[in-house]
This record gives sequence, C-alpha cells and structure tokens, in this order.
Amino acid sequence: MSDSQFDAALDLLRRLNPTTLQENLNNLIELQPNLAQDLLSSVDVPLSIRRDHTDSNRQYLCCDYNRDIDSFRSPWSNTYFPELSSEDLQDSPFPSVPLRQVEILANDSFDVYRDLYYEGGISSVYLWDLNEEDFDGHDFAGVVLFKKNQSDHSNWDSIHVFEVTASPSSPGTFNYRVTTTIILHLDKAKNEQDSQMMLSGNLTRQTEKDIAVDTSRPLDVLSTSHIANLGSLIEDIESQMRNLLETVYFEKTRDIFHQTKNAAIAFSAEEANKDAHAEVIKGLQSL
Amino acid sequence: MSGSKFEEVVNKIISDSPPGELKEVYDDLIKITSENSKNTILDAIENYNVQNCVPIDVEGTSIIISKYNKEGSKFFDPINCVIFSVNHLEHRGLDVEPYEFTHAKLEKQQLKCLHDQLHEYLVQNFPGDVSFAVYPVSEETSKICIIIVSTKYNPSNFWNGHWRSSYIYDLDTEELSGHIFTQVHYYEDGNVNFQSGKDIGQTNVTDVVSAIRDAETAFENDLDFSFSDLNEKQFKALRRRLPVTRSKINWGNAIGSYRLGKNAAEGK
Repeated sequence: MSDSQFDAALDLLRRLNPTTLQENLNNLIELQPNLAQDLLSSVDVPLSIRRDHTDSNRQYLCCDYNRDIDSFRSPWSNTYFPELSSEDLQDSPFPSVPLRQVEILANDSFDVYRDLYYEGGISSVYLWDLNEEDFDGHDFAGVVLFKKNQSDHSNWDSIHVFEVTASPSSPGTFNYRVTTTIILHLDKAKNEQDSQMMLSGNLTRQTEKDIAVDTSRPLDVLSTSHIANLGSLIEDIESQMRNLLETVYFEKTRDIFHQTKNAAIAFSAEEANKDAHAEVIKGLQSL
Repeated sequence: MSGSKFEEVVNKIISDSPPGELKEVYDDLIKITSENSKNTILDAIENYNVQNCVPIDVEGTSIIISKYNKEGSKFFDPINCVIFSVNHLEHRGLDVEPYEFTHAKLEKQQLKCLHDQLHEYLVQNFPGDVSFAVYPVSEETSKICIIIVSTKYNPSNFWNGHWRSSYIYDLDTEELSGHIFTQVHYYEDGNVNFQSGKDIGQTNVTDVVSAIRDAETAFENDLDFSFSDLNEKQFKALRRRLPVTRSKINWGNAIGSYRLGKNAAEGK
C-alpha cells in the first residue's frame, strides 16, 4: 500500500453515497486488501449495538476501538461479547487497572450527559493507555460514543476520539485533542403520492485545548478533573456541531437545490417588470 | 479477485458517484487499482452517463445522451441534426457528423415546437446550467421522451447540485409519466448527501409543458415544506440544543446530583 492509495481511498469515501458507506468500504478493501487496516481504523461508520449479558442485557456501542477479533468489550462489565476463549483473552486489549477506574467514572458522567441532551439513546466510553506503565494521571486516550435513533427514519451517531497529554514545556498543563465525527441520517417515508427524501452523511471537526490541572492532588481527584475537562469540551463541540449540522443539512443543501431549480425566478422577473413599470408611471406623474 | 467480481465492484462504486465528480472518482480508482483497470472503469462510466442522462459538450452545444438517442455506439440529436461519438470521461462529443431526422409519425417541426416551449419554461425556472432534450421513442411511434437536466457545480467550495427530470409523453393517449430526481453533495470536512425523487403520472394531458411545469413546481414546494418538517420534527427529537435545565452541565463530582434530582422527581 502507498500513501497515495490510502489518500485516494479516503477521497473516494468522501464522494460516494454516504448511506452505503459500509458497503463501499468493504468494496475498496476487496479492490486493495492492503488498505484494510488503515481504512478500518480511520473511517467512522455508524455504530452498532450489543448487549452485555452480565449486566441485565444493558446495551453498549461498538466500534473499532473496543473490538478484538469479532468481539466487543462492554464498558459496563469490562467483558468481551461474544465471550472470548481464555487463550484469546490473554492478548486482548484492556485498560490498566487505574485507567479502568477512570473509564467507569467517564461512563457514569457521560451517561448523565446523554440523558440530559439526548433524552434516550445509548452512550459508551472506552479508554486506553498511552504509556507502557499503568496510568498515573497523565497521558491517556479514548473514545466517547453516543447513538440515538427514532424509528428507521432518523439516526445520530457521535464519535469523539481524544488524547490527553501532559505538556512537555509547561508542567501542570494538559493538551486535550478531540476529533469529532457526527453521522446523521434523516429520511422521509415514501408513500404512493408522496416524494421520497433523504438527508444523510457525516461531518468531522478537530478541536484542541490546553488546560491547567492541579497535578499535586491524589489520582482520583486528578482523574475527575480530566473527565470534567473532557466533558465540558465535548459538550461545547457537540453544541457547535449540532448548529453546523442544522445549517448544512437544512439551509446549505436547500440553497444549493434552489440554485438548480427555482420557480421564484419567474415571479421575481414579473415583479421586476412591475417595478420598472411603476417607476415609469411615477416618473411620468412627477413631470 | 475474479474479473466479474472486479467489474461488479467497479460498477457499484461508479453508480454510487455523485454527478459532476466522475473524473475525480476515476482518478482515485486508477490510483487504488492500476492503469490496467482503465477499460473496466470507462465502461462503467459510459453506462452511468447513458443511464443518468449526462449532458455532453458537442462543439459548444450541450446535448443529453440517453438510451433514447443512442444509435450503435453513437448518439444523435434530432433538433441540431448531428450524430456523434462521446469521450465519456471528458463529456465531450467526437466525430460529429450531420444527421437526417426521419420518423414514421412525427414531423421535425413538432419536436422543434415542443423544444421551444420547454426552453421558455426552463429559463424562468432553472437558474443552473440547463440542458434539455426532446427525443422520439424508437419503436413506439406515438411516444416522445422529454429530459431536463440542471446542474450547479462548485467544487472549489466543495458542493455540487443536480436536477434531472425525464418524461414519456404519449401523443395518442395523452398520458404523461416520468420521474423527478434531485441530488446535492456537500463535502467540506465531511460528506453530506441530499436526495429526493418523485414519480409523476398524469392523464388527459394536452399541454405537456404546462403539465410538467405544474408537477415540478408542486415538487419544489413540497420539498421546501419537507426540509422544514424534517428539521422541526426529526432533527430536534435526536438531540436537544440545551438540557431541560436550560444551562450547561456542571461537570465533576457533582454530576451525580442530576441523576439524584431526576430520580427524586420521578419518585424513585
């Protein structure tokens, strides 16, 4: 695989119909199997849902970040489903014990957020260590996921991939870097006389912020600060993205549509004629 | 990968391409596969162009190609009286030769008259780059085909818009049937696709251009309504602008109090 092949594949996926993203992704991998790993880890597809059999069948979200082989780790019980053999589990990725504590806190906090903003839906947070040693309150990474759908006609997926790293130059300052993709699908049911209509796709934004954190406090306090900082950052990003989606989906596409077809230009031509006529009469009257 | 599987995958990718971006899709596919797949991709693009009634630049005149004006590997235009080959990647006409229109039932003048009426309607309703066609339907002498394509491509601002409507009108039974299709692709830091379509079927149509005008104006008005409706109903139900409390979340240890408050309110 070369970089130019990977770039070409990403360019294609930005052009082809986003409602068949998964199929197009599979087809591109068929055409060029070398691209598989890079494409699967960098292209966001709609999130799938699984149930945690050890936690009252509670639902959780799946993406490449909590996958191992064909199983997905649940944020509620830290268990992979379908369950992996003990042999496979030896190589399966898990957060270090202290980072798992932060993951539990993050899931709890973002679940409250989900309830307040989505009034339904599902959330999941997965964390992973960035250092060889166990988490000590400094560098870590993760993904925050939200999914909400109403019937088959609307679906929202938020995917926030983030990295928290201690600034090497100014001690006590942390860099929070978030890449957000929101996949939004809306359609109008088709019936006999009605027209069919579909608005579907995704938008991606990157955000970065440096925040000072008191590193002298115990690990649990430090972790709470990290989750609070990430929480308010993601809350801001989602609010901005929601406005952006509303503008692109309902104003921008509608404007572009009217640049191809617009019955109003016939009326405005008539109006312009009337105005010109009125001007002439006014001109004559003022003589 | 077998040859037929390869062809199937290439056809699927080409058929999924938005109007106005075939050249870029072609370049990407060549990079991902190799120059060897050139002919397979070009065949798929040719099918796409004919199926999607793509306008071709024939010596400065925009002529729509379709299954209705295909003759062997060439395409003809009864109004401009030309027949030509097509460079399907560049959307350009080649080997242009004069063409004599003959038809069992239709006079060229009839097509020309309809053509002129359509033109008048189009300049008042389609601000994009407009192409249109009035073609006889071969082997069904009472039927004519009408195609309207309006595009507005703006790749430097990462968007392309497309309108296509096509109809079959039967002069004997006075029936009009057809389909309107519109698509917008917006791809700045993302990939957003808007598509809408509607089947049209009308009987007792004597003035075909008026009937098309009425159907297309109604479609446009419905669409404006649907945009507002999808926003007001479906979009707003997915995620709130602010929580019910009307203020941003108080993150940190206190976040659990939201849940306590909610449980208390629900009497849990």
